[in-house]
Amino acid sequence: MIDRETLLEVFDIAERRRTERRRFLRMAGTAAAVTGAAGLLAACNNGDDKAIPSPAPTPTPTSSLVASDVDILNFALNLEYLEANYYSFAAFGTGVNASSQTGTGTQGAVTGGAKVPFADASVAAYAREIAADENQHVLFLRQQLGSAAVAMPAINIDGSATGAFTAAARAAGVVDATSGTFNPYASDENWLLGGMLLSDVGVTAYKGAASLISSSVILDAAAGILAVEAYHSGLLRTLLYRKGLAMPALRTNADKISNARDTIDNATDDDVGISPVTVNGGTASSIVLADNNGIVYGRSTGDVLNVAFLNAGAVTSGGFFPAGVNGNIKASTAA
Amino acid sequence: MNTDLDMIDTLAAHGERRRDRRAFFKAAVGAAAVGAGAFLVSQQAQAQTTLTDADILNFALNLEYLEANFYYYAVYGTGIPATSITGVGTPVVATGGQKVAFQDSLLAEMAREIAEDELAHVNFLRSALGSAAVAQPAIDIGVSATSAFSTAAQAATLIPAGATFNPYSSDLAFLYGAFLFEDVGVTAYKGASALITNKTYLDAAAGILAAEAYHASMIRTTIDQLGGNPGLKASTIRGDTELVSAARDSLDGTTDLDQGLAYVSSGAGDTSNIVPTDGNGIAFGRTTGQVLNIVYLNKAQVTAGGFFPAGVNGTIRSSANNAPATNG
Repeated sequence: MIDRETLLEVFDIAERRRTERRRFLRMAGTAAAVTGAAGLLAACNNGDDKAIPSPAPTPTPTSSLVASDVDILNFALNLEYLEANYYSFAAFGTGVNASSQTGTGTQGAVTGGAKVPFADASVAAYAREIAADENQHVLFLRQQLGSAAVAMPAINIDGSATGAFTAAARAAGVVDATSGTFNPYASDENWLLGGMLLSDVGVTAYKGAASLISSSVILDAAAGILAVEAYHSGLLRTLLYRKGLAMPALRTNADKISNARDTIDNATDDDVGISPVTVNGGTASSIVLADNNGIVYGRSTGDVLNVAFLNAGAVTSGGFFPAGVNGNIKASTAA
Repeated sequence: MNTDLDMIDTLAAHGERRRDRRAFFKAAVGAAAVGAGAFLVSQQAQAQTTLTDADILNFALNLEYLEANFYYYAVYGTGIPATSITGVGTPVVATGGQKVAFQDSLLAEMAREIAEDELAHVNFLRSALGSAAVAQPAIDIGVSATSAFSTAAQAATLIPAGATFNPYSSDLAFLYGAFLFEDVGVTAYKGASALITNKTYLDAAAGILAAEAYHASMIRTTIDQLGGNPGLKASTIRGDTELVSAARDSLDGTTDLDQGLAYVSSGAGDTSNIVPTDGNGIAFGRTTGQVLNIVYLNKAQVTAGGFFPAGVNGTIRSSANNAPATNG
């Protein structure tokens, strides 16, 4: 049963974040520091919040993107469908809005997904924030692509013994290789690990794609999404690192997930776990997915799909995408 | 069920409409007051004709010098190695920083990770630029009442006029100091990424952008975990971050490019604000001029001040002119 009020919140949270912030600033007596423009907007928003919703505008027509940019954005859209559904279910108990699932290719359904009974209120607040961001990424990419946007493919985010998360956790050694079950919706800690599994891949996917984009406008947006995915990954890894002080298994399990990704994507050892390292004679954390130059590494589209399909070979479906992804970029590469 | 979905669709569209409306007002006000939106366009037009990739990488190198020295002092009690500051111009050793006596060992470990990343960024950019790399300019990361940190904290009203803010004096003070920098670093790389023409440099810049976002997230998440406690000025630490954010925003023009950590309450529960994003869930970018407004701590068009008392080195030196119009 969907809680309608809860469901509606997800679409408007970012707007509220900014509106609330302005409200706070005025209350804090710093209105003078805020520009006239911001004040005017805040005043408009306050009235707008209570306005009766207007009919949906006509869809944005297909933009004049070059074919390769369309392919890259659609590839990213598949990943955003996956992330948005995972985080939306965890935070709100429901997936991506039905009207945001349509498009070219074969539309599929989501298998699994559940609201997490968060014990730590701050973790629940983070889950809602990430869910809102990922839903907006879906909306933004669909808007940029217009009628060229791919449909949401079949997605498996199930937490049962036959779900994709369990398959990943078994392969990683987080749970028993044959009888273990990993349910990312069972606890705060499991949700963090499940999120790390997906968000780190999101970061490396956008990093890998950035230099392939032709349009400077699209590149600018993609750089902004890359940064947001890195914020998300940094948030999750910081919490895992911090909570891992009292629960060492969190750190070792995160390391196992990192190693499993490394095993199936390619021959290079570039994925990074979160256990501390010794630098210049002292202990340093390992939050950032960086190489020796302090630079976050990227994955090719084929390597991203290795992880998403949970398959080291050259295949076109599996794991989190049981019927494959939609669009022209759809095959993983042999590791 | 269809009714539910229709309503959801309508609300989603409503959100879109509000964004459009906001954009309209931004454009209207910006046109009247020479807003940042107009500047962004002119900056990009200028970049296409006059700025080289080396100019942009050197601009970034100045920012990395600043960040690396702050974190290096906090962790090791010294600036970055002398071999990492030479180049075009006269290198100036950073002084005035202090080693932080961290109470939270995990924060100390994160500070060390960030310090090493930032030095690696310095060395990477220097290597990429080769003989074209600029030397480290004079950097103010000191702790006097007239230091850049104190000036910034005073502008944010965290401390009274004339008071001193020492970002090395406690875990929380260090977090505030880091908070001041990190979001700016993210917006600087985000703003510059689309200006870089060489694909190899672009790939590296995207990776550094992501690293800066990780750092910002580490700092913001750590502050947020303490966020409900009393702040220096506001009733909560999260409230203090909004004051810092507002101060930054007051320097870089009329566009709202900055957010603190205040939560939003709704029927679904509290929502955090670790990630500063626009209405599309996309991180903000700043032009080079806007970045310099913040590190110079000046909303006018100047070439020095704040954290860079003698200005930055390289061809990109001027902050944007965001001085208020006569009639506001």
